[in-house]
Amino acid sequence: MRVGRSLPYVFLGPALLVLVILAAVPTLYAVNLSLQNRTLSAPQAEYVWLANYLKLFSDDRFLNALWVSLKWEVLTVSATMAVGIGLAIAMFEAATRRWRMILSVLFIIPVLLPRVCAAFVWKFSFHPLYGAVTWPVRALTGQTPDVLAHPWGAMLTVAFVDVWQWGLFFAVIILKLMEALPPQPIEAARIDKAKGWEIHRFVTLPMLKLPLISLLLVKAIESLRSFDLVYVMTRGGPGVSTETLDMYAYSQGFIEAGNISYASSMAVIMMVLTVILFTSIWKRLNK
Amino acid sequence: MKLSTLLLRIVLACAALMVLLPLLWTLLNAFKTNADLLVNTPKLIFTPVWDNMQYVLGRRSVARALTNSLVICSSAVAMGALLGVPAAYVIARVKNRLTREAQFFALSLRFLPPVAVAIPMMVIWLGLGFYDTRFALIVTYMTITISITVWLSIPAFERVPIAVEEAARVDRLGPYATFFRVALPIARPQILAAIAFSFILVWNEFLLAMMLSTSKARTLPVVASEMSQLGMNVPWGVLNAAVVLLSLPPLILLAVAGAGMNSVFSRKSTQD
Repeated sequence: MRVGRSLPYVFLGPALLVLVILAAVPTLYAVNLSLQNRTLSAPQAEYVWLANYLKLFSDDRFLNALWVSLKWEVLTVSATMAVGIGLAIAMFEAATRRWRMILSVLFIIPVLLPRVCAAFVWKFSFHPLYGAVTWPVRALTGQTPDVLAHPWGAMLTVAFVDVWQWGLFFAVIILKLMEALPPQPIEAARIDKAKGWEIHRFVTLPMLKLPLISLLLVKAIESLRSFDLVYVMTRGGPGVSTETLDMYAYSQGFIEAGNISYASSMAVIMMVLTVILFTSIWKRLNK
Repeated sequence: MKLSTLLLRIVLACAALMVLLPLLWTLLNAFKTNADLLVNTPKLIFTPVWDNMQYVLGRRSVARALTNSLVICSSAVAMGALLGVPAAYVIARVKNRLTREAQFFALSLRFLPPVAVAIPMMVIWLGLGFYDTRFALIVTYMTITISITVWLSIPAFERVPIAVEEAARVDRLGPYATFFRVALPIARPQILAAIAFSFILVWNEFLLAMMLSTSKARTLPVVASEMSQLGMNVPWGVLNAAVVLLSLPPLILLAVAGAGMNSVFSRKSTQD
């Protein structure tokens, strides 16, 4: 359709220009920084070219952070999808229209909360001495369980908070997707006396395959933003067991050494990994 | 009722309680004294006190952070809406290679890990002398607000029937008048929801705010997280109060934009 001659440029131009500048300048700057040996304390720096990158791959803490990030991605994405699909099916099968509405509003709340808040709410609930979640254990056994002090316990607890925020939200979206499906195939399956779970396993979920994969990708992208949760709940601890890449880059660049250049090289690697990976997957999906 | 339905309803009730209980519990804790809060067996009955709230609201750092958060978020969101909504209209109406690429570009900005933006941005703002200013955070946040506004407004404009716009043209409305007087009013509920969502995103943003500010431009989430480091003991009562205050704006926006949000999601589902 025709929208006038000047309008597309006037409307789209400024936004694109600003976005390109805001995306390109930091990216190029990060690449430039990563080739130097700049620190926060000393303003003068020289080019060391690829030395930072070479150092990264013999840095055990970096390799650990890479591994932790990978675990985090797999854990949170799969748990979020499982919770989302499970609760969506439960709502679809067992909730009346009215209750679906009420539950939908409730399930959207956690994802809208600041992650800092979600982290504090659960950190206090899991507090070994005063927490409400740990209370039954205290009352029954007299012990004070400190889940955040255990490597896997900390990982699972932080992941739990992430899934609490995203899994419930995804349940709402998946429910809306299911409601928008044409009812005939489901009716046909019911007439053929398919059981409830069979209908979803063989009819609804296969029909939703593409949107579900898109959702999975969205969650994978959002899982990269784990910093707030990890920072508030564990600071990467105990030890380095929950230190994700952004947490390590942050502590290298700001807390411990002020190694801005070293942190930048990590940032560049993250950027390259995620942008290339997600772009290629997204383009393939939406072909 | 069938047994399976009953079981599923129990699961749903548990999930609902998982949302409600922690939030209500935090709300209660915000009004407890430390003596009531830091106990072995959680207390349900206690004399509520206003001390924690008063302490949080009375701190100068909080007052400043609240102003910062409001100014930074509303400016970034306003710029995002100003630039993003018209851009989304063009992408929705003109389908060619360039607009497709522009749409994907807006989305792909979300792929950038925040820390990868924060580190160079910090050095850039330090170099320009804008480090720890509201201006620096507003400009940095515009990446988030513009891209998310564009991304969520495109389906809103695609939903406006082309026939309506053609009719406006027959009535001799120019392209700009068509946008402002026809397309924008029709798409308004979803556009408002998109803008509300971008506000929530930057209101909740933590990493960039922490790395790009030290004192003057600190926003609320950062100040709230710093409260856990006051002195030796974590002041949990104060923290709970801070959590409640920080969570209020997104919840209010959810209530206000609820209807519009709903239509964004249902649109998404019919499109997919």
